[in-house]
Amino acid sequence: MILADILTGAIRSGTSVMLASQGELVSERAGVINLGTEGSMLGGALGGFAVTVWTGNPWLGALAGGLCGLLIASIHAFLVLSCGANQLATGLTIMFFGMGVTAFFGRGFVSEQIVGFNPVALPLLSDIPFLGPILFNHDPLTYLSILLVPLLWFVIFRTRIGIMLRTAGEREEVLFASGINAKLVRYLAVLAGGFLAGIGGAQLSIAYTHAWVENMTAGRGVVAVALVIFASWKPARAMLGAYLFGAAQALQLTVQQQGYAISPFFLFMAPYLLTLLALLIVERRKSSRTPEALGKVFAGEGSG
Amino acid sequence: MKTQTGTIALSAGRWPSFARWKKRGVQAMIFVAPFVLYGIFLLCYGVNPIDLYVSMVKSAFGDLYGFGEVLLKATPFVLTGLAAALPAKAGLVNVGGEGQLAIGALFATWFAVFYLNAMPAWLGIPLMLIAGALGGALWAGLVAVLKVKGRLNETITSVLLNYVATFTVGFFVHGMLKDPDSFNWPFSPEISSSLRLPIVDGTRLHIGFVVALVLAALVWFVLAKTRLGFRIRVLGSNRLAAERAGFNINKMYFWVLISAGMLAGIAGMIEIAGIEGRLRASTGANFGYLGFLAAMMAWNHPLRLIVTAFLLGMISVAGNTLEIGSGLPSSSVNILMALVLFFILGGRRWSR
Amino acid sequence: MKTKRRASSVLLGALALIMLITGCSQPGSHSASSPSGGSSETSTASADASMGTGGSAVGFIFVGTKDDYGYNQAAYLGSVAVEEAYPDLKVLRAENVPETAEAERVMEQMIKDGAKIIFPTSYGHLEPALNVAKRHPDVVFFHQGGLKTANNVGTYFGTIWEPVYLAGVAAGKMSKTGKLGYIVSVPIPQVLLNVNAFTLGARSVNPDATTSVVFTGSWCDPGQQANATNSLIDGSVDVLSLHQDCMKTVIETAERRGVMTVGYHADASSLAPNGWITGSLWNWPELFVEMVKTAQDGQFKGSKFDGKYRGTLADNVVQLGSFGANVPADVVQYVEDQKKALLEGTLLPFKGPVKDQSGGVRIAEGETPTVEQLEGSDYLVEGVIGSIPK
Repeated sequence: MILADILTGAIRSGTSVMLASQGELVSERAGVINLGTEGSMLGGALGGFAVTVWTGNPWLGALAGGLCGLLIASIHAFLVLSCGANQLATGLTIMFFGMGVTAFFGRGFVSEQIVGFNPVALPLLSDIPFLGPILFNHDPLTYLSILLVPLLWFVIFRTRIGIMLRTAGEREEVLFASGINAKLVRYLAVLAGGFLAGIGGAQLSIAYTHAWVENMTAGRGVVAVALVIFASWKPARAMLGAYLFGAAQALQLTVQQQGYAISPFFLFMAPYLLTLLALLIVERRKSSRTPEALGKVFAGEGSG
Repeated sequence: MKTQTGTIALSAGRWPSFARWKKRGVQAMIFVAPFVLYGIFLLCYGVNPIDLYVSMVKSAFGDLYGFGEVLLKATPFVLTGLAAALPAKAGLVNVGGEGQLAIGALFATWFAVFYLNAMPAWLGIPLMLIAGALGGALWAGLVAVLKVKGRLNETITSVLLNYVATFTVGFFVHGMLKDPDSFNWPFSPEISSSLRLPIVDGTRLHIGFVVALVLAALVWFVLAKTRLGFRIRVLGSNRLAAERAGFNINKMYFWVLISAGMLAGIAGMIEIAGIEGRLRASTGANFGYLGFLAAMMAWNHPLRLIVTAFLLGMISVAGNTLEIGSGLPSSSVNILMALVLFFILGGRRWSR
Repeated sequence: MKTKRRASSVLLGALALIMLITGCSQPGSHSASSPSGGSSETSTASADASMGTGGSAVGFIFVGTKDDYGYNQAAYLGSVAVEEAYPDLKVLRAENVPETAEAERVMEQMIKDGAKIIFPTSYGHLEPALNVAKRHPDVVFFHQGGLKTANNVGTYFGTIWEPVYLAGVAAGKMSKTGKLGYIVSVPIPQVLLNVNAFTLGARSVNPDATTSVVFTGSWCDPGQQANATNSLIDGSVDVLSLHQDCMKTVIETAERRGVMTVGYHADASSLAPNGWITGSLWNWPELFVEMVKTAQDGQFKGSKFDGKYRGTLADNVVQLGSFGANVPADVVQYVEDQKKALLEGTLLPFKGPVKDQSGGVRIAEGETPTVEQLEGSDYLVEGVIGSIPK
């Protein structure tokens, strides 16, 4: 059942990326791109791990992870929204800052052990042939992340909050006319994005690997940002993209075990090349357009 | 441009001393604040910040060697910074300096090892430089084609291609470019000594630094003084106007990205010919990102970029002193660098 | 306009400076990035005797962080022992030093700070160390794992493949499926040598055993380690080993899925009370102190460290870890017997013929491989499943 193994692997290794990309999606819907997602993930991974060590409770850990991600994203929000700093440069700086800060404060935690989240097979559902083991044998954060996707879709497209969020990213003046503070909406969106990225990082440290090491996200936050574009700012597509990336990571390991004479270096590239390919295919179909405020960032105007 | 200068002159005329004082004050604050903050951080860990800053400055400016190290470190930042600044003027965000540098280094090494080894310096070095530029151009060309033909955002593609570039270099140094005399360890053979850039006595500084300065001046000249540069700036500031004026926008995007790739590729070549002598999987790691930041700090101005690249070079070199002298982990340097950047990026509004 | 003028004056200043500097440079002196500011070869007896002595510090450079529970931590523990044995010497450490010319600057800085003895502890620090050594003939360099030496550069390493072979024997005995897994980073010789030793050990007791090797491309990416662990276990591997700088995730994930593990670098038996078999460990402290003493006493030239020193299982530089609770006594006994034979020299794990994956003979019948042959491995032995770039 190699296919089932790869699909299971896709969800396992894609979940942290998926959470981060959902967060980035919220932020970008409000017109703020945050390349510092990597930093928020690292903050979440360390914060989540540390609190789990201290309290022994992974739920508190996950919450702390989210808050640490939020804290790091708040620097981005402040610099971009209140100081008018360039979004891309600030995001990149946040990434370096996150690496430095977490490496520095995380030293004592490398050798710690935690009990963390473990996979829980859902009764009955996990007995479904083929689909059961793929979908219903994961850790609690993974189940929650799957539930998050329809929830986010609902909030973004079917509620007043969602309208405000999207308007902040499209037509700021409209918000202004209706007496809503666009800056506040953007602040909240960036912070929410950081929170979700933090939980994504925590999923990696306290649920999937039960470990904290320096720079353990290894570019997953950067990929998460790329996936939001692939997803055309739609939650379900971002989920698909993240699982695709996860599948590529799992697939390359499976291929290595088949003993084909393929250089591992080509396999290392596969997740990134597949993401590029996916971007290319989606963009050809051009089903969605960039939020206007975001378009300005990419067009070099850059300040929030 | 003219009216702007006029307003500045006017306001300066009204409150000459105060406006100037305020601006200088804010600028000084922005520079000093991160070091004060970091000093407090150091104090919390029992390190005397004054002693440390003094030794950091000493290591960078105390002797010719230290100063050379700073310039050496700044050289690739200038070039990868240009690779970000030039496209930025055309409204493009190239974060791919990292990968373009790596592939530039790969091409330069490949040619140096297989074709140029027996050549005299005057011929071999320029050819190696061209090879490096070619490699960078090829990698940027992928971004350009995806942008122009695939309508893919260049920020994202250039970032993703950075990872692919690193693994590509890994593939070659573990395989076809592996040094036969180094017991199968993954790096290329050493390039011939005739291909090494001349260096300054008593330091490791090589003429690559001059190349970087000349290229920065060239990019500045083209952007500021030529018709082509004017068109690039028009495209960057108002795409609609550029379209109306009948510019071939895709063609411009393409060639701007190719030029950026060449600049980063040259940085890769200079790393190999100037200092490393051989290619490794980790050659030039993070130089692209730091160059991008240097460009952003300089607001994409090619000449100011020289100053910001120097600043980043200084912090990198001082970082080693910090670690060896204070015993603080290497990661704490990243915190200092980020603090400096935060203040520069965030303080821009008040320093103008 | 104003900023433009200022910027161009900066440029002019910089250009003038450069012309000044390049004016003093001699184009003839560009051999291998060593400035001619250093001194010429002075290999007289007195210079040899003073080499490495009189310093106020000892420098250690690491490629990773000191608390990674792996290669770097092992070397770090060695540096701590030096600190304790020589309270008068300042121990200078630099972590995360890349394996590029950047390492040269770090070593120069340490020498400036009074170090006469330097330990570059990663393979990639060798070329930079050789360059710096040329400039500082009075400083002794002890490079970890290198195969090239110089007048003032000696290399040291441990024959870690000995305990890895023994661990492979244990793994071969314990495995029920005969399928072993090995998680590694990139195909460098030290990695390939260990995978080969492990496989040879396993096949010495189970000729049908195979080792599936998986490259993650990273020395410590727990996420990818978890993927690799799951993927290997899905492929019905029942004993896992690794050559990574961190191992918590692999050992714990395998334990959770009921798969046995063989550790590397450090003892992780507490992470896997059920599945731990054994592991291979470094033991640098005594050796590092001995090396520093040798150099301090001016005895480096002509000592065993002046050249390529390799500490063995017999020297206690490398060790076989403790056995897990679930390893039966007869298996422990068998491995201990093998260890005894290895120590006595009657067992030679890499004694020819050793064949690679495609059946080609790499070590001929009856031949005992040299240090260079082993530490320059560029092949995987018969029984390993996996591919390396050619």
